[in-house]
Amino acid sequence: MIPRSIERHAIFFVLLLECVVLAATTDGFLTSTNLGNVLRQNAFTAVLAAGMTFVIISGAIDLSVGSIVGFAGVLTADLMARGVPVGLAVGAGILSGVAIGALNGFVMTRLRVPAFVVTLAMMLIARGAAFKYTDARTITGLPESFQLLSSGVAATLTMAAVFGISWAVLMRTAFGRHVYAVGGNAEAASLSGVRVGRVQRRVFMISGACAGLAGVLVASRLNAGYPRAGEFYELDAIAAVVVGGASLFGGRGSIWGALGGAFFVGVLNNGLNLFRVSPYDQLMVKGAVLLIAACLDRSRH
Amino acid sequence: MRRDCLRRASETVLAGRGLTKSFGGVTVLHDVDLRIQAGEVRALLGENGAGKSTLIKILTGAIVPDRGELHLAGQLMPLGDARRLRDAGIGVVYQEFTLVPDLSVAENIFLGREPGRLLMDRAAMRSAAVGAFRDLDIAIDVDAPVRSLRIAHQQLVEIARALISDARVVIFDEPTASLPPPDVARFLAVVRRLRERGLGILYTSHRLEEVFSIADTLTVLRDGSVVESCSMAGVSQRDVIRWMVGRDVSEEFPVRNPTLGDVVFEARAFSRLPRVQHVDVSVRRGEIVAVAGLVGAGRSAAALGFIGALRPVHARGGQLLLDRRIVTFASPSDALAEGVAYVTEDRKGRGLFPLMSVEANITISSLAAFARRNWIDRRLERSTASEIARACCVRASSLLQPIATLSGGNQQKALLGRYLVKPPRVLIVDEPTRGVDVGARAEIYALLDHLSREGMAIILISSDLTEVIGMADRVVVMRQGRTVRDLPRGEATAETVMSAATLQS
Repeated sequence: MIPRSIERHAIFFVLLLECVVLAATTDGFLTSTNLGNVLRQNAFTAVLAAGMTFVIISGAIDLSVGSIVGFAGVLTADLMARGVPVGLAVGAGILSGVAIGALNGFVMTRLRVPAFVVTLAMMLIARGAAFKYTDARTITGLPESFQLLSSGVAATLTMAAVFGISWAVLMRTAFGRHVYAVGGNAEAASLSGVRVGRVQRRVFMISGACAGLAGVLVASRLNAGYPRAGEFYELDAIAAVVVGGASLFGGRGSIWGALGGAFFVGVLNNGLNLFRVSPYDQLMVKGAVLLIAACLDRSRH
Repeated sequence: MRRDCLRRASETVLAGRGLTKSFGGVTVLHDVDLRIQAGEVRALLGENGAGKSTLIKILTGAIVPDRGELHLAGQLMPLGDARRLRDAGIGVVYQEFTLVPDLSVAENIFLGREPGRLLMDRAAMRSAAVGAFRDLDIAIDVDAPVRSLRIAHQQLVEIARALISDARVVIFDEPTASLPPPDVARFLAVVRRLRERGLGILYTSHRLEEVFSIADTLTVLRDGSVVESCSMAGVSQRDVIRWMVGRDVSEEFPVRNPTLGDVVFEARAFSRLPRVQHVDVSVRRGEIVAVAGLVGAGRSAAALGFIGALRPVHARGGQLLLDRRIVTFASPSDALAEGVAYVTEDRKGRGLFPLMSVEANITISSLAAFARRNWIDRRLERSTASEIARACCVRASSLLQPIATLSGGNQQKALLGRYLVKPPRVLIVDEPTRGVDVGARAEIYALLDHLSREGMAIILISSDLTEVIGMADRVVVMRQGRTVRDLPRGEATAETVMSAATLQS
């Protein structure tokens, strides 16, 4: 019998094991350059996973986050290219994510369309909008100060802030408890006086905000507004949350699990690169790892 | 009055002997004998929880009895083998339909036993289905998807399905519960035709007049045992009710001598079509009003309607008054804000959060009470939860353990406690002792009594007659979506309540 506290944070032990193995078998892993890269490359996946954690615990799913990354990125880049101050442009990028999330939540709760379908449609719409907005071109010539956002220190601080706030909201506020309740048993939540629709709408706005922020970070790292940015990121985010122990049926999951999950997947990518595994094999390995994680999780519950 | 001997000439098609079954130490069926002759309709009667469903499940092979045997046409049958029993000729028509809406009538009838080897023999299926309905003298398009049929016709499809493998016995489990009255007569005619064909029929229904019009013999179960098994000749509805109810009100109930205050909550001609037709009910400060009736009478629907949680609703009418002020609640959270709480009957499905701790289950409705600007004060939350758990006698080794690990009784007490953190003025409890052991049951009664003494107005929805008579200061009886009687404590007896719940007045 494994103690609950260890079991609940199993992903960190797995992550640690992964790091130890890579440190022992490769020369390149345990260098400051490489670790800094891992941190920077995965900061946005982690931020997306934080938002996705709320959605998944509430029993829903958000497939639109990757496209929001693309849209928010080109919007922010375009505004800066037109001379809007960096701070305002970044704020607009994040707000565009909130707005798309709000729309997701509205359609889902008011028009009673399943989250999967709503966000699948939004994934197409937001991506299409990003292409149309830029005429499928890449926006360049961004101010230098914007690039600082994706420096190792800034990215780490941003990520730490996102996770700190997410943890506090999820574990220490009435709203956070309601998110778990809605995912655990929506009917019971409603009869307990929880305003289920409102909780769901807020959850999608949070996910949208995180996606908007991730979009800004990606644009900063690319130093460009690239309408294809963030493609398939929704899948990485969902994988991170699930590997971190959340249930796709809702009601179970933790924000630290999502963080651990994001870096587990990130370090895995890094390790496969260090071993020069071909990109095709990488895909298969990642898929297999996700399946194994899901099977282990099933056997636990 | 036993006429079984007179019918000795006719053949016994189905016989159960000494059937006994217990679940988790509670005996739900004790040494039950049951015989069904060819060409007879035997009614199986009993209160909710008397053991009827368990008996039917044994006859159909859905569960295996601990003891006893089953004979079909003199042959010993394997127990708990649903497929064998069905193929041997025991057909069943359940209250809840088991049809697949998008498949055709013929496909539904043959679901799970499609003729043909690799490919379904659709022609054979079609013609057998047509033949089955011709035998029943019913016109139904066997190619139509079941979804497109009226409820009454869907039921006929169920019957055809029960008959298709040369059934010798057909069991009807509350077959008319969801049929509108005009269809009931037509349905009963079909049952008579089956009897004429020499089938043995076991028939359960809560509607006594229907039982009296169709049954030849009856078996009454009470607390898992057969209390009467005889011919219907010379039996009155009063007799049947007495056999079904039987028990005396025991001392497990607190002695009630309430001091009643003003009317706190009242529903006037309240309707939420289709399930709630016309409800008049009121409750005073310090009063416990029981709402009695059969399963499906619309009691829970009415309560859900009060707090704005009933779906779907096609039309609404009537008024709710809280302190003589007209109110409408758009959602349970509105109702709770005004002090009207509803504790669900469906503990697992609509009550508990199985993954959350006992504590979180208790505090979920009232987090605002210990949150400062949305931040939960965990210490206050913990102390409140343990206070409530103590007041409600919730026994748990830790309030941090998942609620799913508690016994049914402790889960129920915790669920009740959830709505007492911020004491409501009107508490509607729906079947608060269903699936609860005797000890916890007495604690729940004592708790409700205590709350009413403190001035809470309580509406107790219950299918347990003993509980209704034992707890209520007044009993309101519902039937088919309507309140039909309002009996003061003195007039409420098991007989008067049961009559009002079952008979057409």
